Amino acid sequence: MDQLTQPTQLSEEAILEVLKQFITEVIGQEFVEDLDITPQSSFTKDLEMDSIEIVAFSEKVKAHFGKDIDFTGWLSNMDLDEIINLNLGDITKYIQSCL
Amino acid sequence: MPVVSLQHTSIHLQEMNAGAPETILMVHGMFTNLSIYYFNIAPVLAQRFHVVLYDLKGHGMSGRSSQGYDLQTMSDELLELMDKLGLDTVHLAGYSYGGLIALKAAMRFPGRINKLAIIESPNPYEQETMRIADIYSKELLVHFINDHAGDTAVRPGKRQLQRRHRMYEQLLKESSIRQDMQQERDFFSSPQLAGIPHETLLIYGNASDCMFAGQQLHQKISRSQLILVNGDHNIPVQEPFPIAYALKDFFGT
Repeated sequence: MDQLTQPTQLSEEAILEVLKQFITEVIGQEFVEDLDITPQSSFTKDLEMDSIEIVAFSEKVKAHFGKDIDFTGWLSNMDLDEIINLNLGDITKYIQSCL
Repeated sequence: MPVVSLQHTSIHLQEMNAGAPETILMVHGMFTNLSIYYFNIAPVLAQRFHVVLYDLKGHGMSGRSSQGYDLQTMSDELLELMDKLGLDTVHLAGYSYGGLIALKAAMRFPGRINKLAIIESPNPYEQETMRIADIYSKELLVHFINDHAGDTAVRPGKRQLQRRHRMYEQLLKESSIRQDMQQERDFFSSPQLAGIPHETLLIYGNASDCMFAGQQLHQKISRSQLILVNGDHNIPVQEPFPIAYALKDFFGT
């Protein structure tokens, strides 16, 4: 009864869970088991994802959250260093701001 | 993950702004993948064009292959991909060895290509320059190791390092890629190269070992223009936006 967000709006936690699932699909369950995936996890340093895996991850984000999210357009304003240093919390906040 | 099956391999591709009237098809270089365009260059081009990026076989998420890395086969596969996608004509852009594939396609199928852009393609006769890819690969590995040298915790599996290492092992030791690249050493002497009729943009790094190859192509291809951007062979990563806007202007006028 004290719900502050609109029913359709996903919480950051819910979005993070979806993103964790995508990461598992991209890099494989056996590797994810050894990782502690948090909002502070960065693509390369923590998750050890390379650029083609980030492409696959981006594709899943676009397919899942729909055309309201210009994920590639958002990334395209960053240079590659910024992209590989992005953490999951940054992405979660971006997605939430679009929904 | 969009994958197209060709006769001898399967190709992973990514499309942006499908439905735009004109298409730009982009070919990456050896030992890299479509991500070299995906994050910065392609989105700028997709503001106006339908952009198609694909992983060459043996690279990225395309199928593995032990042979057929010569320009004839690679340009055959480029055309086969165009046919599968229903692309009658495209603007074609290629980086490094991908630029050589683009040149070969322009020589063989001139009617299927509108404008041509070549980024940092080496002269295959200069095998030293062709070995840049190898050296660069090693640097990437060294960079990766150094990057983690300060970590006291053992990283689980060094998955990324293993992935890269596996790709180099497959391509350099278990495929014909070296021999296939070496057999192209006289490519710049081919009379058909000088006969390329397309309007061609050549983009090279002003500190690149390949810059002389850019000048050679500029002399050979009559309707070409050469522009230099700051950087070395790795300019798509170093200066993606100047390259993206140069391509957008070139293909758009």
